[in-house]
Amino acid sequence: MEKLLEVRGLKKTFTIRSGIFRKTTGYVNAVDSVDLDVFPDETLGLVGESGCGKTTLAKIILALEKPDAGRVIFDGVDIHEARGQSLTHIRRGIQVIFQDPFGSLNPRKRISSIVTEPMIIHKVGSKSQRYERAVELMNLVGLSPDMLGRYPHEFSGGQRQRICIARALAVNPRLLLCDEPVSALDVSIQAQVINLLVKLQSELSLSYIFISHDLSVVGYISHRIAVMYRGQIVELADSAALFESPLHPYTRCLMDAVPEPVPGKEKGSVRSGWENSGDTPSPHGCSFSSGCPHKEDRCLKEKPSLVEKKPRHWVACHMHQ
Amino acid sequence: MQNQKDSVAIPEGNGDLLVIQDLHTHFFTPDGVVRAIDGVDLRLKKGRTLGLVGESGCGKTVLALSILQLIPDPPGRIVKGRIIFEGTDLLKLDAQAIRDIRGNKISMIFQEPMTSLNPVFTIGDQIAEVVLLHQRHRASTKEQAKGIAVDMLKMVGIPSPDKRINDYPHQLSGGMCQRVMIAMALACRPSLMIADEPTTALDVTTQAQILCLMKDLKDEIDTSILMVTHDLGVVAQSCQEVAVMYTGNIVEYASVEEIFSAPLHPYTKGLMRAIPKVGARQRGEFLQAIAGNVPTLKDMPKGCTFNTRCPEVMDICRSEYPPVFRPKVDHTVRCWRYVN
Repeated sequence: MEKLLEVRGLKKTFTIRSGIFRKTTGYVNAVDSVDLDVFPDETLGLVGESGCGKTTLAKIILALEKPDAGRVIFDGVDIHEARGQSLTHIRRGIQVIFQDPFGSLNPRKRISSIVTEPMIIHKVGSKSQRYERAVELMNLVGLSPDMLGRYPHEFSGGQRQRICIARALAVNPRLLLCDEPVSALDVSIQAQVINLLVKLQSELSLSYIFISHDLSVVGYISHRIAVMYRGQIVELADSAALFESPLHPYTRCLMDAVPEPVPGKEKGSVRSGWENSGDTPSPHGCSFSSGCPHKEDRCLKEKPSLVEKKPRHWVACHMHQ
Repeated sequence: MQNQKDSVAIPEGNGDLLVIQDLHTHFFTPDGVVRAIDGVDLRLKKGRTLGLVGESGCGKTVLALSILQLIPDPPGRIVKGRIIFEGTDLLKLDAQAIRDIRGNKISMIFQEPMTSLNPVFTIGDQIAEVVLLHQRHRASTKEQAKGIAVDMLKMVGIPSPDKRINDYPHQLSGGMCQRVMIAMALACRPSLMIADEPTTALDVTTQAQILCLMKDLKDEIDTSILMVTHDLGVVAQSCQEVAVMYTGNIVEYASVEEIFSAPLHPYTKGLMRAIPKVGARQRGEFLQAIAGNVPTLKDMPKGCTFNTRCPEVMDICRSEYPPVFRPKVDHTVRCWRYVN
């Protein structure tokens, strides 16, 4: 199948500076040799804990941040090489929804100008056509077009997230990058927004990259899931396969840690288990070696690479190589 | 406005640590009175963990703050009700007496561990302060209090506590900060710990550790916990009783097994169905969301406040607020469907 987005060997390192002379005291590998593919009509889930590099990866895909190495190819074009017309074309094709619906809408603008702004930037249609499109978008995301004249503060969290979705869809993107789109919402509202995203995907044939730390949400919405740990993809598989038989020890840790809404179902392994020590792992070994219950000498010396252990199920762990 | 007097709102029992009766906390704003807590009855038994669940804006935090009388006044005021803690009505105590209870007998953990610690004092100083303030009989000097601080840090599982007490909050991770908050909350061995969304700001793996820690310490220190949260998973894993809150009132109260196996209130049922399940989408299932939004506290519908979103709404729901019904022993619900 043809790929919509191809990420190859992506790297991004930040330097830590401290002291009054801003001396370089260390490096953070925010994104470390990441390879990913997104296919048309697919939702790729990206899970990991805070600080694992999810958002940095998202920023690089949006061409908001330059990678140190590697390529991001959208629709056959390298987005970090693209200039002028082709960059505009890419920017139109990839849109984003952010986590905080309160911070991502300009409080001094009416909903109509918020939703039409992307069309103005990309010079789509005339003024009246843009307004018509805004009305159409409002209906699409389940809001009344009468609300176009209002300001963001008049809306609840769920409604604001709908407005963010309407704005993102204004220029007919093909890939929607959702960075924790429902984390700030209550359970009942969260379900409404997820249902909307699922509905829009089939109606408009969109692809999603769905970033979240909530495994149950990602497990519900994604076709495939990539698990990220300290800048690396440690496991990549179909959603059902990942939950049924997680291969990487970190994925298992994550799944064991999710409190299940079933009373009395004790999470045994967490109690005995793994502590995120916060130590910097050895630069040559596996990044999870400091917390891994199955570590061997090899894990400290050699970095495991992502291999296809089972069909469509990739894992980066020495246990499975 | 809408509250029937009901003296048996919550099943009677012995060994009650905290009993809240008909509590009303209102906020007097220029736009009108906001009834944030509107007739809450609640009972917490000794040695138990009670989960207080609800969506944002339903009044969970206001209820927690009302117990400690930390409601900013003005605009807020507890207008009516009783909060009986270990046999005394907290609302009848003067400011000094409340100060002796706050942080000592009843302590609180907040949602944001990073912002609830003072950035300019070491964590050792901050834990020692609580002890020096409340329990002079255990520690009369700063050194003794520091000693207690080290013990507490050890108890909450912080490695090399004797060195860590000299750290500042910014030197610790979020999970570590929350451990320090718990150490501080438990330093005076309180009988009640109020935890307001203690794990919401943390990662899942850290959350699991903190929940385990709270469970272990609860038995060790013999304290009871009021766990305020919106996460039903957290409730299932850590609570014995559950109170579901909606628009300033408790709409359902039962044991955790009851709530999850046989929820009665349409709102509780809706919350349960809205939890996403892995693989459900591949089977073509949509999530069953609760329609509409939580009504704002200033603009409540007449009758039952859930009637605009309720799939099982009846005529009476639109005109009268339901009183508390008790369809089963130890299971109460505010819904007209259970009138018999």
